Amino acid sequence: MLRSENPTRPATIEELLSSELIGKISHLDVSSRKIFAGKLKGERRSKKRGESVEFADHRPYAMGDDLRHIDWNIYARLDRFFMKLFMEEEDLSLHIVIDASASADCGEPNKFYYMQQVAMSLGYIGLLNLNRVAVTAVGMRDELVMASLKGESGEQSIAGNIRDLRGRRRTHDLARFLCSITPEGGTDFGQACKRIAMSRRGKGVMIVLSDFFMKEGYETGLRLLVGRGYDVFAIQVLSPQEVDPDISGDLQLRDVEDGDMAEVTISAPLLKKYKENLSAYCQELRDFCARREITGLTIQSDTPIDTLLVDYLRKRGLLR
Amino acid sequence: MTWATPMLAALVAAIAIPSLVILYFLKLRRVPREVSSTLLWKKSIQDLQANAPFQKLRRNLLLFLQLIILGLILLALAQPRSTASSAAGRKLVLLIDRSASMRAVDGDGSSAGERTRLEAAKERAIGLVEGLASPSLFEESEDADEAMVIAFDRSAEIVSQFTSDKQGLINAINGIEQTDGPSSIEEAYRLAQSQRPNRVVIDSGGDGTGTDPVELEGIKGGDAYFFHLFSDGKVGELDVVRADEDTADAPSFEYHAVGEAGAVNVGLTALRAERDYEDPTKLSVFVGVQSTDVNPRSVDAELRVGGRVVSVRAVNLDGAVVESQTGEKEASTGGVVFELVEPNGVMVEVRLSTGFGDAGMDVLETDNVGTLIVPPAKQASVALVTTGSLFLREALSGLSISDLQIMSPAQYEEMRDAGETGAIDLFVFDGTMPKASEGGVVFDPGRYLVIGDVYTGPGGVVDQGEGPGTQIINWRRGHPLLRDLTLDAVVLGKSRTIEIPDGSELVSLAETTEGPAIVEMSTGDVRAVMVAFDPAFSNWPFDVSFVVFLASAVDYLGTQVGTDVDVNARQITPGFVLADRVPSDAENIRVRLPDGTMSGEVIAAPDGRIVYGPIHQRGVYRVEWIGSAGASDLVEDGKVMRFYGANLLDGPESDLGSAASLGLSNRVVSASSQGEITRLKEWWPWLLLGAIGVMMLEWWIYNKKVYL
Repeated sequence: MLRSENPTRPATIEELLSSELIGKISHLDVSSRKIFAGKLKGERRSKKRGESVEFADHRPYAMGDDLRHIDWNIYARLDRFFMKLFMEEEDLSLHIVIDASASADCGEPNKFYYMQQVAMSLGYIGLLNLNRVAVTAVGMRDELVMASLKGESGEQSIAGNIRDLRGRRRTHDLARFLCSITPEGGTDFGQACKRIAMSRRGKGVMIVLSDFFMKEGYETGLRLLVGRGYDVFAIQVLSPQEVDPDISGDLQLRDVEDGDMAEVTISAPLLKKYKENLSAYCQELRDFCARREITGLTIQSDTPIDTLLVDYLRKRGLLR
Repeated sequence: MTWATPMLAALVAAIAIPSLVILYFLKLRRVPREVSSTLLWKKSIQDLQANAPFQKLRRNLLLFLQLIILGLILLALAQPRSTASSAAGRKLVLLIDRSASMRAVDGDGSSAGERTRLEAAKERAIGLVEGLASPSLFEESEDADEAMVIAFDRSAEIVSQFTSDKQGLINAINGIEQTDGPSSIEEAYRLAQSQRPNRVVIDSGGDGTGTDPVELEGIKGGDAYFFHLFSDGKVGELDVVRADEDTADAPSFEYHAVGEAGAVNVGLTALRAERDYEDPTKLSVFVGVQSTDVNPRSVDAELRVGGRVVSVRAVNLDGAVVESQTGEKEASTGGVVFELVEPNGVMVEVRLSTGFGDAGMDVLETDNVGTLIVPPAKQASVALVTTGSLFLREALSGLSISDLQIMSPAQYEEMRDAGETGAIDLFVFDGTMPKASEGGVVFDPGRYLVIGDVYTGPGGVVDQGEGPGTQIINWRRGHPLLRDLTLDAVVLGKSRTIEIPDGSELVSLAETTEGPAIVEMSTGDVRAVMVAFDPAFSNWPFDVSFVVFLASAVDYLGTQVGTDVDVNARQITPGFVLADRVPSDAENIRVRLPDGTMSGEVIAAPDGRIVYGPIHQRGVYRVEWIGSAGASDLVEDGKVMRFYGANLLDGPESDLGSAASLGLSNRVVSASSQGEITRLKEWWPWLLLGAIGVMMLEWWIYNKKVYL
């Protein structure tokens, strides 16, 4: 929860995506519960029948899955919930939104580094399967920096953007982009999402990586993303210290994003109350996601990446 | 509960408490920390503030704990103490009886106890001392009690002057030694009173103008003394004690009784030896025994002579009589007489044994043993130097004289030349005088009774020759020689007129109308009584007073120091002084105490008088010196030794029942009960302990974040 004193700033692809991890995730592919029309022909086999979709697979129901994708026929037969998975379109769009605000640059292990690793892994899987991959870093940047970076002005809520990567050879472009982002400043999540939604062409899978600690609320942003038809995955990354604070004494807590002060005297009831509030907050996020057909997931930054990818995300149907 | 230094604590509190509060709030500089988001924290704080009662108090728990610690320290600083009375700054006089009766072993309150009364008394006195208001730690306050400790038997001794040093007082009390003497409070009381300052008055000079303070000798002023008597109540001379008015807090005279009221004791109250007049080798030892047991008792009296048991006789004693109205116990007495033949000087010891199985029936050992030093059966040997008088020979031979020699003046001179006169205790010269020797010395060292002549040599009388007939008109009735005489009837047919010159050492014992008739000469080694007139020319020889005079003269001159002693003269009572005469050439005089220790050198007066003591122990005392020996003295290795027996022999002291009340001169004081001594309790160490405890709790809370 505290700002990391010496946060790990990855400089090479090896730091973002280790060779062992590549070995573990190479066989994975991105799947979607929705049917998307691809723009380009993909590598995979396709059986288009007009508007119909190709049924791909079943998987067991997991908490938080959209009830609309439950195969009710199977339920009628077996009295058990199964999710219907559909074959991807050939050209699946994978959009990764990464929170590059200062609040992400906290915790031990560093949350932002974790998010970078997750984004890299997922992006690699996408590239490997010839999906169209885009990454957007969300975070307030002052105009001057943005202007020099992008050559345009007014892009305050977007810290960085890379689009239309396809194929394995773009892996290094993706890695270079991820390495170039530094987490700082605040967020205007709603504004950023609006921009993403407006600039987004085509439909696909969208993965939002953030701690979702947003004072102005995450609801508007997520609603905008869902409204455009994306299959949204919200992965909330928390540091272990945020889950179980190890601070004590009389403290003046300063918000790294907006400089807001909170004077606290750490006590057992206060910690208890904090934990209650945190779990309520996370629950609220998950409830919101469930209502909006978003797959929500809360993960601690000390969870191994391969566990997250191979285990959690596969269970939730993002990968297969 | 009283406070020794409340003002100091209040002062410190006035400074420290505001300082702590201010420092606490100054101290609360929160450590700045950057966190990812204050969102949840703010929410939590709000929730907590909204939900939890006493939030403000909880936040300041540490401050409150610190205030508690500070409060405890401040309370400790005020030195609270719990005492029964609020009075402090008192002057206490602790009178501790150390007399023989305090040796009784019923100090525990039961007859079969192991502790003596003195030990019990010491313990209670120490308890009292511990309960005194002690001086505060920071300042010389006047609130501290001061105490003086006086140990007394018959004599008194200040073992500790007024002090508030408790340990010093306790040491002094513990250092008090038991003695074997009877007890009398008089000296102790006067000693205590003498410590009080004299009353100071403003001398008005008669005209009311003076301002000089004047001390009145003998009238005591100053603070009132609070007397505490630790005793069994068997104390003499209580009527000299005048108790002051009791104050509201404490009685001015408190009596802490030790011992058991019904204590039973059998003890010697009298011990005398007497030699038979006719046959001095016969010795009678009279033993008086007293019992305070209400039941009849039979005790064995054991006579030891020179350490060997000679005889054992049973003494039967009736039960003590208890006065039905007053409850006072009249001790029963009994006695036994031992008869033995003992011509030599011996040490006679009488021991009472109460027999086996009588534990608790005799709580005092000291009065069960008595020692007598009996001198040898020796009587004066007298030589009559006469030219043939009949009266004196007849009169002297009628007296009990072991050895009467009759010699002429020529024989005397021969004997004198031979230097054998030392064997004769008394020379009686009848109408003659020793001749002056070549050096002009008339009397060799010795005792002389000269009838019908006077010494006219240097320092002697002026003889004015024959005088007219006359009568004896005046004599020293108090003198041992003339004590029992009446000389009114003596008529002199022919007198001798003499005059005692100024500056002479001669003393006139009897006078006629013409002048001195009997004179005594007493120089260092010579004692002579001279009857100036010739009794043959008077009616004196026919008067009974003549024989009595001769007997007294033999007794007086013949039994002086160095010749013979009274059989009971060598007895002393503990608490009194040992006083005697030793030969004037005695040097390096020391006293050996019953416990074997030797005293320092005792300096004798020019006439050989020595005083040692007061003595405290029962037993045999031995005076040793180097020099010439008296007739009854033992000589060993060039050292002369003389023995004395010290015995209690005091009926009231042996009557051991502890008294429940004391009759002072102005009122009766009852014994205060055992539990009444309130111990002063100092609370500040506990408060400090509590402060440390709270401090540790605070530390723990601070570290553990266990804010309740």
